[in-house]
Amino acid sequence: MKNSKVKISSNNLNVYYGNKQALFDVNLTLNEKEVTALIGPSGCGKSTFIRCINRMNDVIEICRVEGSIKMDGMNINDKGVDVVQLREKVGMVFQKPNPFPKSIYDNIAYGPTIHGVVQNKNQMDELVENCLKKAALWNEVKDRLQEPGTSLSGGQQQRLCIARAISVNPEVILMDEPCSALDPIATAKIEELIDELRKTYTIVIVTHSMAQAVRVSQRTGFFHLGKLIEIDTTEKIFKNPGNNMTQDYITGRFG
Amino acid sequence: MSEESHIVKSYEEELQNLHDTLIQMGALTESQLSDSLDAVIKVDKESTDKIINSDQKINKFRSKIDTQIMNLLVKRAPMAIDLRSTISALKISQDLERIGDLAKSNAKKVKPLPYDLPDELLQNLRRLGELVQKQLSEVLDSYVNKGLDKAKTVWENDERVDDLTYIAMNSVTDFLSQDKKNLDFATHLIFVTKNLERAGDHITNIAESVYYLIKGEYLKGQRPKGREIEDNV
Repeated sequence: MKNSKVKISSNNLNVYYGNKQALFDVNLTLNEKEVTALIGPSGCGKSTFIRCINRMNDVIEICRVEGSIKMDGMNINDKGVDVVQLREKVGMVFQKPNPFPKSIYDNIAYGPTIHGVVQNKNQMDELVENCLKKAALWNEVKDRLQEPGTSLSGGQQQRLCIARAISVNPEVILMDEPCSALDPIATAKIEELIDELRKTYTIVIVTHSMAQAVRVSQRTGFFHLGKLIEIDTTEKIFKNPGNNMTQDYITGRFG
Repeated sequence: MSEESHIVKSYEEELQNLHDTLIQMGALTESQLSDSLDAVIKVDKESTDKIINSDQKINKFRSKIDTQIMNLLVKRAPMAIDLRSTISALKISQDLERIGDLAKSNAKKVKPLPYDLPDELLQNLRRLGELVQKQLSEVLDSYVNKGLDKAKTVWENDERVDDLTYIAMNSVTDFLSQDKKNLDFATHLIFVTKNLERAGDHITNIAESVYYLIKGEYLKGQRPKGREIEDNV
């Protein structure tokens, strides 16, 4: 494994939804330009964890976050941090493709327009093309950029969402089960894309597919009941995990 | 090892079936090895055809295990301990099949042998053969009972197999040097000796597979080596 620089680290992260505690003292580091897979049964806290990284939990009134998450050494929960700027750096792709009800072109152009990334139409055209190329979608949509994003197939929509996520030039991409609604071919395309994107971005992927975690990630973390049970290289986790609970989960023995 | 059972019962059964098939294959290989050694030591020419034909049964086990493993890989994509069990079974079955081949090869050498082989030569072959049998029995036991220490001991004891091979080989060359007429017989006995030593090497492989299966790590260090015979046969 290459020398890894820590991009994000959580320290004693505790998250509560009202009285219910969702995360317990999570200490986890995400290395720069690596794919970290988070696995664990439903409700174990893995999605809650990644939603802390771009402060998506801010919109949930009863949610309370304690402890710190540092990105490049800066605490993202500090009062001075602008959430909009944070989300420019930390993009997100969801389980169900959710393109805006706009054209393919505008889906990509929306973020850069809001964030004032580009100056003119030519620059925007170039950016849209680049993002669609990076998301391996350009060849399929270049002649129909004005058609609605929702007219695309599920797999194409998901790649459009990835293109949209990278349009504001983020540093981190969070993916919450990005392939669970896709067929195997569309899944293969997304996985191929993730492998390409990790050269540029730090990626966190929540997945229920063990095989997918093995295929796409360099490190894997296992969550259970809000606790991070184990995190190690993906190879170690799937060949010889250190914790019996991890082993029981990944081998399908969970009681 | 995990105490829990799989949620999917048929997966549990498939792994158990693989385990059981491998144990059956191991038991048959043990008896093949033992029968062929007996045939050599007693120069029992009557028993050899049966031994030679039985080798097919071992080969059939091997094919059955291959199929079981392919099904497991495709259907279950085994992980962690299950992955190690599956891959170890694949490797162990290959080694058992080779041991079966070597036993068959030894049985084939019996027919041309004379009935009046020197006693000391036979004793040295017997000592080597019995050690190899014991090693096989121990390594299979370490597989069944997940005995890490036992697997390691078998691995270490290959050194003794090498030593006894050296001694047996010397008796064969002594026998050869006594009379040129012994050349044909001695050539066969050289193969018998070498085959036993090779069976020992496959047993060492199995010990390594068992160790990896249990611990998830490879046995560290150099393979133990005893006195070496010239490796030109």
